[in-house]
Amino acid sequence: MDEELTDGYKEPCVQCGAVAWALSDGLQFFCKNCHNVIERTQEIVDVSTYLLNNRISTLSRSYKKTEREGGQQWMVCEGFQIILKRQAEALVGLGVCPQFKTNVLWDFWKLYLQKTRQAYTRAPVSSTRNPVDLSSESEPESAFLSEASDLSGPTSASVYSSDGKSSVCSGSLDAAYYFDGKERRSRHLMSMPRTLALCHLALLWLREAITLTDLLRLVSKRLVPYVNVHEHFPEEIRFFGRDAVIFRAETIPSYTKVHMESLHLAKILQLSAFPPVSQNCLLHPGLLSLRYLMDANLPYRLHSLVCQVIEKTAMDKDCFLTFDPSASKSILQCYDLQAAAVIIVTLKLLFKLDDQVEWSFSRKAKEKTQESDQDKKEESKQGSKMFSLRRWYMIVQPALEQAREREELVEAKQQWKAKKPVIASVKHKTVVLKRRRVVEQLQSNFCTLAGSDPEQQPSSPFTFHFLWGKEEDADGPSLHNKDLSGMLVKEGREKLLVNKTYWHTDFRHCHKQNCWNHFPDLEPTLPRMYVWVLGLFSFLLGVSEAELHKEVVKVEQRLILGKTLSDKRTQKPQRKRKRAADPV
Amino acid sequence: MDDIEAELNLSDVSDASEDERILRKTESPSLSHVPSTNARSKESGFHKSARLCLKAIRDAMLHHRWQEAAQYLSAYSQTLEETTAHRQSLACEIIWRIGTEVLQHHPDSQLEDFNVLYERMKNSGVKNYAKICLEHSFHLLLNGNFNDAKRQLSVAASWKYGKQSASQSMELKLIHAYCGFLDYFIWCTKKSSPTSSDANTRELHSYFRQASVTLQEIITQPGVWDPFVLSYVDMLEFYNDHEGALKVLQNYAYNKDYPSNPNAHVYLYQFLKRHKAPPAKLISTLKVLCCLVPSHELMLEYCSLLLKSEVVEDKQDCLTVAMNLLDYPSWKYDLNAWICLRKVLTVLKKKKLKHLIDKEWEKRKDLWLAMHYRKCHGKKDSEENTGLLLVKANVSKLLGEHKRGYNKFSSSAREKKEMLTR
Repeated sequence: MDEELTDGYKEPCVQCGAVAWALSDGLQFFCKNCHNVIERTQEIVDVSTYLLNNRISTLSRSYKKTEREGGQQWMVCEGFQIILKRQAEALVGLGVCPQFKTNVLWDFWKLYLQKTRQAYTRAPVSSTRNPVDLSSESEPESAFLSEASDLSGPTSASVYSSDGKSSVCSGSLDAAYYFDGKERRSRHLMSMPRTLALCHLALLWLREAITLTDLLRLVSKRLVPYVNVHEHFPEEIRFFGRDAVIFRAETIPSYTKVHMESLHLAKILQLSAFPPVSQNCLLHPGLLSLRYLMDANLPYRLHSLVCQVIEKTAMDKDCFLTFDPSASKSILQCYDLQAAAVIIVTLKLLFKLDDQVEWSFSRKAKEKTQESDQDKKEESKQGSKMFSLRRWYMIVQPALEQAREREELVEAKQQWKAKKPVIASVKHKTVVLKRRRVVEQLQSNFCTLAGSDPEQQPSSPFTFHFLWGKEEDADGPSLHNKDLSGMLVKEGREKLLVNKTYWHTDFRHCHKQNCWNHFPDLEPTLPRMYVWVLGLFSFLLGVSEAELHKEVVKVEQRLILGKTLSDKRTQKPQRKRKRAADPV
Repeated sequence: MDDIEAELNLSDVSDASEDERILRKTESPSLSHVPSTNARSKESGFHKSARLCLKAIRDAMLHHRWQEAAQYLSAYSQTLEETTAHRQSLACEIIWRIGTEVLQHHPDSQLEDFNVLYERMKNSGVKNYAKICLEHSFHLLLNGNFNDAKRQLSVAASWKYGKQSASQSMELKLIHAYCGFLDYFIWCTKKSSPTSSDANTRELHSYFRQASVTLQEIITQPGVWDPFVLSYVDMLEFYNDHEGALKVLQNYAYNKDYPSNPNAHVYLYQFLKRHKAPPAKLISTLKVLCCLVPSHELMLEYCSLLLKSEVVEDKQDCLTVAMNLLDYPSWKYDLNAWICLRKVLTVLKKKKLKHLIDKEWEKRKDLWLAMHYRKCHGKKDSEENTGLLLVKANVSKLLGEHKRGYNKFSSSAREKKEMLTR
């Protein structure tokens, strides 16, 4: 093994002259003959090349049959490995490049195992600690578990020194470790939301177009396995007891949670800077915002204004967008939330969105078009070419309501329980199996009564919620080609915004823990139009309005103050007025 | 994974035995399937789906879209696999009740579907076993499957489940009672069947014996057992055991342990009438009924009985009874009641007992003038029921009221009548 690691280095040792190098724990080269340590260290230049050289690739597993029945012994991390594999396959099937599965995600996973010292390491997590305080189980059982948690490559003699019986309370060998909070945090053990975080990091590494909101939406549509993953486990793996609780997922995690997990994971993995997110990358706010503009039925001409706002807030800089875990203050940007937030800020700049200005604009626009129609004496069939917020609202609101209802019904019919029931404890095995049979019988009974209802459309991975245009099944007429002539006025050689004022919520700096709790208190004080726009974009993205609002506030801070308040702590008065004169 | 602690707690609860689960019932909220807004943010995706599904089922049912309701109900069935104990039992009950409701209204539902649903839900949770059994047998009964219903009930009657059967003892008693009742039904069908072979008669007798044993046992316990009493008496009468039947009915009506039940007296009266009892006895039976329910429809018969009797107090009582009857708004527009009162008043006047009339009238004058003799009543009566109008006018004259606006209507009606007869 060492030969492969130190493959490139063929220099003779200074002291003894032999060429027999090995890597120490601290990743330093030392001579096997004379144990002379040299300065050279193996550094992680690139994730893939490093791990490809490392050939500790298999967990040696004793296939001793257990006393009860056939079935191999397995560790929880193996289970997670299978899950990740399936998730990767699903994503590749949806259009992600195949390197996602074979290279990036797999390398990340191996790196994770190495960093958390569960595998690929010569010094796995030591089990000499007294595990009695881990759980409330009986002593002999916990003593056995401590031995079983030992896993390493060749030195597997001590692993299954006992009679090889799997734990009585779980099919896997080390499920008990996953139940102690301290253990989990100190050893950075894997969890179900963390699998999504790992996928997200890998997608980000490849700069794929699938954002975190897209990933979560695919998971909720069951296109990426997450709920009832135990159905993907092979037959040999006995899955019951505490495994059920580790691998059970009865909720799709929220955006914030997966985001925090991604950040956490990136730190654990000690990754270097990610590939830069540049102008032509699909994660760039410029391109991403175009996607959301289309979905929200806003005119394309808004995009140039959006790009201007992005420029002003310096959000298009590579250093801002690119994720660099090794930097001192690494921030993983929420690209999708930011793109939506920028659009909302632009709308606020144009229309103010305070329940008064935007409607008066619409009225003036209507009057103007009526005048111009009378002047020209022609009747345009499509109405005026000018974008009117009122018309936009009247078109989008019913479509939004219908889409919300449809989503609710889809969610109501969502099945969370697997066909292969999960047996949490042997005591309840018969009850659980009986219940499953009952459920299946009832379902078939009611299904026959439900009649021929062929509304069972397979969930489609389309990214767009709405279809705007003249087609038969469109949600409404398209406003993409309207212009913004009513909102901009020519002064001299420049075009300025007609709306001259802006409002924003308090830029208070809060501690991280309760930062996301402000919105429910704040919401009744906000203008209804703003809340509606927030609702529209949070529906499009599938996040909560609080999360989106937080992002909007960040963008506003950058726009108005120059930097976000996490950089400087100052108190700003509420409802500041600002002249916004942006040259077009 | 952060909610593993929560999951652990849940799995601990599901590990607990039935008894502990009952004790822990106090923790569960009453409408745990409708959480408050605070709880909603911590709700799992599974629970949210279940909540939305229930809402969709409710909407579909309220709008009578039964096929859609069935569709959502099949999706809702997954809640039976809930891990928390109290939610699981709640899910059982919801699916049972809503399922039966949907099946009843659904155009394509068959008896088989009902049977399947009932069988499944009976065995899904022990708390509702007796109730579901009863409902199942009622359903079979209403569809005419007496034998199946009987079979279900006999299976249920022999059910024992430790503390659960103790807590469901009331339902089990009912099951026992309905067992006997169904024996009676089957006896009735056999009785009315034309073939009178030996085997048939023997079977008939055996059913009679079974039914009478069970019913007697039930009836001896204090309670309201109307259908059972009637069926038992019916059987006894068929076998000409009139004394036995009378004893049963008297016990049912007069025993102080039993809750006060006007129907008991009605049944006794009807039995006595059938067997041509002397009027005094009938009167005494109806007297009790009069105390209990002065507005009962048998009061008219009581009045006629009292009128025919020779005792003076009876005549006084008769007036009270007749006027009490008309104190109730349900008798306001009943022609028979008014005719009866008119008859009583005429008889009393003939017997020179006008003072009695005056005494009673004083008590009720204000009430009756407002309730029966206003102009609006006059208008209504003249449009709808001129017969009533005339009788009421007669009564008012007999009571001594002459100058009433009501009488104007009656006089015009009488003129019209006279014109028609000419």
